[in-house]
Amino acid sequence: MSALYPITLEINRYDPETNLAWCQTYHVKVGGILRFVDVLRKINDEQDPTLAWASSCEHAQCGSCGIMVNGKPLLACELLVKDAVEQFNTHTFRLKPLTIAPVVRDLVVDLEKAYDRIHAAKPYLIQPAPLYPDGDEYRISPETVDTYVEATRCINCFCCATACISSHHHFLGPNATMENIVRLMDPRETAKQERMDILYKEDGVYRCHTSRACSFVCPKEIDVSHFLALGKEGKF
Amino acid sequence: MGEGLTIDATLTCDVLVIGAGGAGLRAAAHIGEQRPGSKIIALTKVVSPQKSHTTTAQGGMAAVDPKDPADRTIFHMFDTWKGSDCSADQNVIKKVCELGWEEMVWLETHGMHFSRTEEGRIAKRPFGGHMLNFGETKAFRACYEADRTGKGIMDTVWDESLRHGVDFIGQCVATELLMRSGTCIGAIIYRYPEGTFIAILANATIIATGGNTRMYLVSSNCRGNTGDGLVLALNAGLPVMDLEAVQLHPTGIVGPGILASEALRGEGAILRNKDEEPFMERYAPTAKDLAPRDLVSRAIMQEIREGKGLFHEGHNAHHVWLDLRHLPAAVHEKKLQEVCSFFKRFVGVDPQKDLCPVTPTAHYQMGGIPTNEFGEVQKDLQTIVPGLFACGEAAAASLHGLNRLGTNSLLELITMGRVIGERVVEYLKDSQAPGELPSDAGHSIFDQFSTYLASQGTENYAQIRDTLRNLMMEKVGIFRTEKSLLEALEKLKELREKALHIPIGTTSLKANQNLWQIWELNNLISISYVITRSALERKESRGAHFREDYPERSNEYNYHTLAYMSEFDTVTFDKRPIDMSIFEAKGERYELFDFIERKY
Repeated sequence: MSALYPITLEINRYDPETNLAWCQTYHVKVGGILRFVDVLRKINDEQDPTLAWASSCEHAQCGSCGIMVNGKPLLACELLVKDAVEQFNTHTFRLKPLTIAPVVRDLVVDLEKAYDRIHAAKPYLIQPAPLYPDGDEYRISPETVDTYVEATRCINCFCCATACISSHHHFLGPNATMENIVRLMDPRETAKQERMDILYKEDGVYRCHTSRACSFVCPKEIDVSHFLALGKEGKF
Repeated sequence: MGEGLTIDATLTCDVLVIGAGGAGLRAAAHIGEQRPGSKIIALTKVVSPQKSHTTTAQGGMAAVDPKDPADRTIFHMFDTWKGSDCSADQNVIKKVCELGWEEMVWLETHGMHFSRTEEGRIAKRPFGGHMLNFGETKAFRACYEADRTGKGIMDTVWDESLRHGVDFIGQCVATELLMRSGTCIGAIIYRYPEGTFIAILANATIIATGGNTRMYLVSSNCRGNTGDGLVLALNAGLPVMDLEAVQLHPTGIVGPGILASEALRGEGAILRNKDEEPFMERYAPTAKDLAPRDLVSRAIMQEIREGKGLFHEGHNAHHVWLDLRHLPAAVHEKKLQEVCSFFKRFVGVDPQKDLCPVTPTAHYQMGGIPTNEFGEVQKDLQTIVPGLFACGEAAAASLHGLNRLGTNSLLELITMGRVIGERVVEYLKDSQAPGELPSDAGHSIFDQFSTYLASQGTENYAQIRDTLRNLMMEKVGIFRTEKSLLEALEKLKELREKALHIPIGTTSLKANQNLWQIWELNNLISISYVITRSALERKESRGAHFREDYPERSNEYNYHTLAYMSEFDTVTFDKRPIDMSIFEAKGERYELFDFIERKY
């Protein structure tokens, strides 16, 4: 076995039964290749079965396990202990829930509420263009797809929305806005006017202050702010 | 027992979809499309359908393009039959393969972002066991969206369900089916954040809860794939089918077993042992690295057994290499972007420069709740359960028999989801309203939860979970014997008993992760028991089910295993014949749809 890392986790706790919140400290010794989800599981197994946290696929494809680690929103499933020690230059980590939705318990937030933002952006094709004359697939060049394909990789983990300086203040948020911009760039969508109405309304893209925090924290390394800039420029 | 727990609310709807993954929501989207105004409720264990396990599927979805000059639907049907080791149902094979391209166009017109050829058409790649001219050479049949095809499909069916006004209830599980005089009238659900029980009365109920391989130490499945849907059926006295058929995908990333898609080998990656020998050439001279998954997984384990594998210190696990170094940079960066990032992030290797450590990972449950070709759930060979449907990985119609080909699961989700949608629309035309809530509704789940909440025992949850996962991997994994299976059964009974004596951390019902996981653990143990008992019954080797004491396929077992277990440990069996309708129709090359020899 490789060397063990002694680390300290200071975790925000919240009990919905008593409405009490506190910070609890856990000390663990773990292998460097463990992910933070493994560390949280280890705490459940060995120290405290009541600590609640969320995850699902645990390999950065679903976006269920977003948390704040030392102030940075990230996916707990893809942060390895050795990388965390290096990246944050410490053995002590402060874990807090994402700030984009109400806390359910401990590190679990009600992302169902956050998803209302995505629903408002209408992620589907509102009015698809007629099919290719033969009745089979559209013809879309790889070059065209390349202009927006990065944005389609978004998993709605809401790390960007948590980091965004505007999304807590009347902005639909970077990921939801990007969903809309993808469909504006999608040659199959004909309802461009309705999409622009969503894009430029009160909670739309001009709420963005171009801090570029979204691009900085995105676990999928999508340049979210690039797409928001295209939205502002009307270049889709 | 059960005191203090009550049904907090009752909802009614036309259609209840239990499990909002690819299959469930394809059905929901179809019902929404064909029967506007239907009240559809879709339940998911996760916060949003977008986070379903479907989203982690990578490589592609098989469908024969009618304009493809080389490929034909009958080749796909043959590959699926041969791939299943002659145990899939031919009526289902025919239906699904014939619907494939139509559904591909449906996904395309509803917004899926397929990868494209230079001509702007949907791109296709080869996959294991998919061949031209009845097994001659590899076919380009898997339509894909880079290496996130599942995400593309999931987003599309979720988008469409959203558009048709489907009501989603997230972070909940169905704990009990509601039945009246043999008809399914809905389910009781438990909502995690508030800790409430809700009765949902429905004219039609669709079980689409997905897979359940979390009982294996190495598994590509997400945290919540714990067999909840199968337990729902078993508890209602309904059978499950072919549970002995668990697919171990050959290439899980060493460690937790994160999937490294077969698309990697489709794009040209090669498996190598510790001497860097491309060993698949010895096991499957024609198909080589693109042989079906059961064969490749056994070949890898055989190499490891013969001392030709490697050992990963950090993860304490044996593995072989997957070599992607010779693939062009553009393939790494665009076509396999996600998987390459997994290797970098989780094991610190760069697939462009380094060999990648892989090991078989429990991936897919071929069996499930038995249905006919329309997705209607069967109570026994003669009877269907009115009002109850099942599709996706939780169901077995059966397209896959005892071994599934890569890319056929996404195809099944979408085609069977739609087929069931159609059937439900028909069913709703003259179905009765579900009526009042039965007076004993919820009693059994209240008893179960009360037992967990009151437990003062000294057993350890993590220990039971880890014992289970090691046990299933070792004794009910790729290689099985009567001895290993009998040992596993004894141990499973012990674990079942222990699982009733885990002390609870908190008795709150709100977001009680401890309670939720104990419930899941019990489901896993129950399903493990049925898998093991079914594996013991099948004294032959077929597809993913390999018995070292009976290494050959036997015509005596040309049937599906039906297993019932309404009480733990009391398993009864029945046999369902394999549908041979393509063979019996005596059409083109029908002799290939007999119980043929299987060589690649």
